[in-house]
Amino acid sequence: MTLRRGGRPLLWLGLSVALVALAVAGIAIGTIALSPGAVWAALLGRGDATTITVVRDLRAPRVALAALVGAGLAMSGAALQGILRNPLAEPYLLGVSGGAAVGAVLAVVAGATSAGLVPLAAFAGAVLAVSVAMVVARAVGGRADPRLLLMAGVVVGAFANAAIMIVLANAPADTLRNATWWMMGSVAGAEWSGVRWLALYIAAGGLLLVARARDVDVLSLGEDSAAALGVRVEQSTRAVYLIAALVAAATVSAAGLVGFVGLMVPHLVRAAGVRSHRSLLAGSAIAGAGLVIGADLLARTLLPPAELPLGAVTALLGVPFFLARLRTLA
Amino acid sequence: MRDLIAPSCVVAGTLLMERVPMFFSRLAFTLVIASSLTLVACASERTPVRKSSTVRVVDDFGDSVEIAPAARIASLSPTTTELLFAIGAGARVVGRTSYDEWPAEARRVPDLGPGIRPNVEAILAAKPDLVVLYAANDNRDAARALRAAGLRTIGLKVDRIADFKRATALLGAVAGDSAGAQAVVDSVQRTLDRVHAATADLHHPRVAWQLWDTPLLVLGSGSYQHELIEIAGAENVYADDTKPNTQTSLEDLIRRDPDVILTDSSRASAIRRSSRWRGVRAVREGHVLAVDDETSSRASVKLGMAAVTLARLLHPEASIR
Amino acid sequence: MIVFESLVVRYPRAKTPAVRGVSLAALAGRVTAVVGPNGSGKSTLVRALLGRVTIESGTISVSGADARTLAPRELARRVAVVPQRETPAFPAPVRDLVALGRHPHAHGLARWTEGDEAAVERAIVEAGVGDLVERSSDELSGGEWQRVRIARALAQEAPALVLDEPTTFLDIAHEMAVFELLHRLARKGTAVLLVSHQLNLVARFADEIVLLHRGAVAAAGSPLDVMRGDVLEQVYEWPLVVTRDPAVGAPSLVPLRGHRGARDTPSH
Repeated sequence: MTLRRGGRPLLWLGLSVALVALAVAGIAIGTIALSPGAVWAALLGRGDATTITVVRDLRAPRVALAALVGAGLAMSGAALQGILRNPLAEPYLLGVSGGAAVGAVLAVVAGATSAGLVPLAAFAGAVLAVSVAMVVARAVGGRADPRLLLMAGVVVGAFANAAIMIVLANAPADTLRNATWWMMGSVAGAEWSGVRWLALYIAAGGLLLVARARDVDVLSLGEDSAAALGVRVEQSTRAVYLIAALVAAATVSAAGLVGFVGLMVPHLVRAAGVRSHRSLLAGSAIAGAGLVIGADLLARTLLPPAELPLGAVTALLGVPFFLARLRTLA
Repeated sequence: MRDLIAPSCVVAGTLLMERVPMFFSRLAFTLVIASSLTLVACASERTPVRKSSTVRVVDDFGDSVEIAPAARIASLSPTTTELLFAIGAGARVVGRTSYDEWPAEARRVPDLGPGIRPNVEAILAAKPDLVVLYAANDNRDAARALRAAGLRTIGLKVDRIADFKRATALLGAVAGDSAGAQAVVDSVQRTLDRVHAATADLHHPRVAWQLWDTPLLVLGSGSYQHELIEIAGAENVYADDTKPNTQTSLEDLIRRDPDVILTDSSRASAIRRSSRWRGVRAVREGHVLAVDDETSSRASVKLGMAAVTLARLLHPEASIR
Repeated sequence: MIVFESLVVRYPRAKTPAVRGVSLAALAGRVTAVVGPNGSGKSTLVRALLGRVTIESGTISVSGADARTLAPRELARRVAVVPQRETPAFPAPVRDLVALGRHPHAHGLARWTEGDEAAVERAIVEAGVGDLVERSSDELSGGEWQRVRIARALAQEAPALVLDEPTTFLDIAHEMAVFELLHRLARKGTAVLLVSHQLNLVARFADEIVLLHRGAVAAAGSPLDVMRGDVLEQVYEWPLVVTRDPAVGAPSLVPLRGHRGARDTPSH
């Protein structure tokens, strides 16, 4: 919560080093064994065409996409936990994941291939779901009450899940496989063209969240206290909610559903002693990026040559995390 | 009645033997009784239970089923529907699945719903003599239900060319036209032999057949498509995987370094545009070939044409008919 | 100074307004106390000031300007409010929490200055929470937490201070310390508006008392004017008697036993 220049240089150093190490591992490790020298040469554009393409156009964009998805989801989770004053809040609770999944599944059923239409449909679905949740919360409560937002999001998500089940119940096997695979999350299709767009988006969203980080510090005290300290409670809550939801929606449209990151990472960063939301957002971005890069690395090296879905690996990582949390609560 | 004859003979013989004290008489008498019993037994076996010709086979569910000609057939898989029409038994088909759309005449057959987890009531309502299901595990419950309702049900799974031959023969028996079915099989086999001979001495390119993009699925060696590749004079780089298809990564594909990538037309253009796929030598050299979905989607009567198409695609310099 | 003029506030779907035409003024340099039974509208006044409930009619002006026209940040620079309850969702060090009181001054991407740092230090000393600064908020007792919140309000350095039940969990020493603090601040020129149940302490330290009953002003004036047995008994609906405390010379309220004929246990 400090507004002053913070301490903890070791933590930041550690996080940054870990991120860089994971990124390097992500580029250097893969099904094709490459020596570090070959990887370095390929990054510089020297060597045979295949190796260069593998390093620059296969692994590097993949690592970049994983980092962006992790950073976006973690920042979104940190901001939401602050304004909703709930340590169990995460972006997927707002209906973002359900809405995106409905959009993607409908696109798949309509015969779209993954390249262009599915991400757009997913994003549109997510935006629609978040808007519906906000309208529902407003209609029921009259104010942007955080609890109402949360519950409206859960309701929208439940509806979306039902819709997905209905759509997929009588779908042909191919559609079913495509939709299911999308919903389990993957960065396997990463290409620089898409990654560039997502980078702009996540950067913009992240900056907007950081600009409002102090408001979130105050909002996490409670609504009356926040009002007493000069925060426009409804406006601020709505703004942060929307930005966080849109950032999460962008990650979902790019990589499918990658769960637990938005929930786990802010907790871990807070457990390391970070309090102010400005630092929490930055720390979550770095830690989230590293986590998803690592998860993707596991996804492609655990059962070669097949790849595990990214969402499955992050869910697996979530299990020990929650067990540890249970122990601290008890 | 005939079940009583043998024991009666034994009882009668025993009673009679007690009255014949001398050994030789006893022996002779035993022989007479034994041979007459044998004659009776043999005679009863030669007499059939039913007048029609039936045969028992083991279907692809692993169940023993009786095969007899049927006038009303519910064919719940695109392959079997296509085969029935091909052998001229289209008129007997009283039900199909929503996906059975070839030949055009098949569309006039009533749609009974999905082929996986079919609607049992809809099938019963069509009053078939015989139901042909796709032998997936998901359909075991349906098969049980149909058989319990008294309907003869066969599960078929046509994965390989040998399966195609067997299925066609079986369907021919069911349609009461085994000769016609055999003719179809022979015609397809002749085409396959012709293609195999034409490509035998040509250079065999190494091929990877992409079946799906997300996740990346490629053809293994467990299906007819793999057999078609070999007949068409090429080598499947994923032949070591015995499944019909296998999930893999782009890096693994690059490592296996095929000469040619086969896929359907929309995916082919996506591959050519993609920057990731440029890691594959075949893509950089422009060897991405589109295989028409229609000819290669089933192991059926179009197998021959599929082999010809593939061979022409893979060996453009040779003229293959 | 803070002036409420004929304020009417009604909660959504309520039949009767929670505040019915209340007028009162908390002037600079004075301690003004608002007292009354539960549900008389005391906290609603505070929430109306913060803009957390909609005003049906009437006005609230802060330093001459209508509170509704002021931006929340500007309002927070003119009046510091300590709400009744606060449970933060995440623990934080006490020093950081007090520093949040500078939010109305150092917001968005503005930099933290030495002036801000000095204000926080002063507030910590003034509120007497120097021994708590390194502790984490989830380790504090109810009373310690309350004092920290008062420190935060002091860090706002606003000319007016509004506190809603600030001494609920405090022991005698800390309660007296808070009242003495409020008295000191008023003498230095701050307008102090205090909502409290502690009638006896209010009677000793307040310059003006406003007694609310069912959303309306039942009595207002100096402690001697308001602290009268007949008025208080009617408002609080409990038998009581107001005496003059010989030790401090202020009116002292003594509630009697509810049952007729009941007697208190002798003290020895």
